[in-house]
Amino acid sequence: MTKEYLLFMLINGLSEGMLLFIIASGLSLVFGVLRVINFAHGSLYMIGAFVAYSVSTLLTTGSLMSFLVLLLVVPPIIAVIGFVLEVTLFRRVYREEHLLQLLLTYALVLILDDVVRVVWGGDPRNVARPDLLAGSVDIMGLALPTYNVFILCVGPVVAVGLWLLLYRTRSGNMIRAAVSFPDTLGTLGVNVSRVMTATFMLGCWLAGLGGVLVVSLASIDLGIGMQKIIECFAVVVIGGLGSVGGALLGSLIIGTGVTFFQLPFGRWALVFPYLMMAVVLIVRPWGLFGRPER
Amino acid sequence: MKRMCLKVLIIALSVFMLGAWGLTDNAAAADTIKLGFVADMSGVGASFYKSQKAAIDLFIEQTNAAGGVLGKKLEVIARDAQLKPDIGANVARELILSEKCDFLIGPTSSAVALAVTKVAHEFKKIVYFHTSNAEGLTTTNFQPYMFQVVPNTGMEGRGMALTLSKKPYTKYGYIGPDYAYGQEQFASFKKELPKQKKDAQILEVVWVKLGENNFSPYIPTLMAKGPEVIFSSFWGGQLSSFIKQAVPYGLFKKATISSLFDLDMLRSTGKDMPEGLLGYARCPFYGVNNPEMAAFVKTYYEKNKEWPADWAIMAYDGLIALTEAIKKANSTDSEKVVKAIEGLKFKSLRGERYIRPEDHMANVGIYVGTTAKDAKYPDFLIMKDVKEVPAEELWLSVEEVKKLQSEKK
Repeated sequence: MTKEYLLFMLINGLSEGMLLFIIASGLSLVFGVLRVINFAHGSLYMIGAFVAYSVSTLLTTGSLMSFLVLLLVVPPIIAVIGFVLEVTLFRRVYREEHLLQLLLTYALVLILDDVVRVVWGGDPRNVARPDLLAGSVDIMGLALPTYNVFILCVGPVVAVGLWLLLYRTRSGNMIRAAVSFPDTLGTLGVNVSRVMTATFMLGCWLAGLGGVLVVSLASIDLGIGMQKIIECFAVVVIGGLGSVGGALLGSLIIGTGVTFFQLPFGRWALVFPYLMMAVVLIVRPWGLFGRPER
Repeated sequence: MKRMCLKVLIIALSVFMLGAWGLTDNAAAADTIKLGFVADMSGVGASFYKSQKAAIDLFIEQTNAAGGVLGKKLEVIARDAQLKPDIGANVARELILSEKCDFLIGPTSSAVALAVTKVAHEFKKIVYFHTSNAEGLTTTNFQPYMFQVVPNTGMEGRGMALTLSKKPYTKYGYIGPDYAYGQEQFASFKKELPKQKKDAQILEVVWVKLGENNFSPYIPTLMAKGPEVIFSSFWGGQLSSFIKQAVPYGLFKKATISSLFDLDMLRSTGKDMPEGLLGYARCPFYGVNNPEMAAFVKTYYEKNKEWPADWAIMAYDGLIALTEAIKKANSTDSEKVVKAIEGLKFKSLRGERYIRPEDHMANVGIYVGTTAKDAKYPDFLIMKDVKEVPAEELWLSVEEVKKLQSEKK
């Protein structure tokens, strides 16, 4: 086992983490503003992946253009689905107790999963990577798929984009204000409800983006939504619910951890995210970047 | 009030039960042989089911046109077990009790098969397994009212250890799904390999959780210690997905992969399948050369407009064995047919075969070959230089079987 190989595995793990971050940041953002843990976030990610598959059948396979079209078209479609869900359902439960919110989002998981089953069926699907990203990049004599490198680059772009949006724009200020002082924001004459809808749509957009990215990374099937929401949940618990920076750190820890611990621990590496989650819950229940509930 | 409800319920149930008894008594007199197919129709089972059903339908059509078996027509009733053992057991009971089936045809999933074999034992109805291939069905979970016409997990694992040990490889890697099928196959592989090759070492074993389709976290671990050949228990969509993802990691430049290259998998991987990989199949139509197979493939293709997958051929072979046994016994009575099955010789699509009396396992070997393009099949690769590793070299000895059967669970 050489140093080069360890570095290679680190890069590979970071790319895993970045994909996780793109999805988990949406979950975290939505929780931060809406105070609802959206279990259906994973299902929206899965729908994003399947919609990407369907749209791709209309386009030429392997061209960069088609891939860009997917990246531009699919996340907004999921955001629109998010808009409908927020206006019709989520809006009604913000002030209700957590149990009711859980029931709603969990019911949504069951409904959306069945919708996917009815529309797309149970067969695994996959979209061919664009030719430009189909090969591999040589890293110290080891081959890393270009596509994984691409995801590794998209992650930071999304992170910086979110940071700019949250800290450098007026809408971002409002979103942050809605996290910290929702009532004050309302009294200042801001339409808080609109801020919430917009945030929810942004969260769904991120889930959709994750869906587009995964459909060419791996095969997708009915199980991916449930699988991802559990990982995302571990991420936001570790990073701190509501914190985008925390989601980034949490994702990278889990992504690299799961990849790295494969080697010494084999199948026990699966335990890692939950072990991390347990440790964080004991030591710092509000997460690494979170704040204790007031 | 509560008691009243209970009474009504009991009366209603009794009426239903009596009614059901009455109905079944009438149906038993019919001059058909009913086959109850406990099928895994949904999810990953769907493509398997399509092939199996097409072959069963074809067999029934041909047999009935030729006058049936013992003058009786064959009929199949299929029910979905949904890949779930408990549902499979219920479906099997329903097929026996309400549909009055005389024989059962097994499912795709081994887990369901283990549940179905118990029901078959309980009701003394013969079931045959054609796709589900847990070795335990013929050893620790053996019961006499069953037979198996598919090479089992043990035979596959030992067969690939035997085949690969003849190649110049010494450094082996393994990757497989973390459930009974993968574990059993790997256990046999690991036990057999050092017997065949003293200096062989298994460098890395990677278990992937069931249903995982993203292999990025696993591939670098698998390659870390530089194995020359990787044996895998993945199959179907998961294998196809794994191979596609392994290519850009440069895995095929450093090592080769050996696994179950069944027709469905080869078709779905298409042109992405690398050439020159040594693998095996349970029953590849293109690798078996005899007039029966040729005739079957021709009729099957004409009827279904696609080539018969391994699952189709094995389901068909099972029916050949079953109907031969019924003819030999000159009865559909389970006890008599079981007697006929033990040591039965039958002409399968794979050639002359027999069923070993001790574990009711047909002597079906695995077919090994190397992936290659073929002008006849422009859309997918097949295996070239296909050779059968005979069952006699792979299956457990009678002593081992008896020992395991006496440890019955």
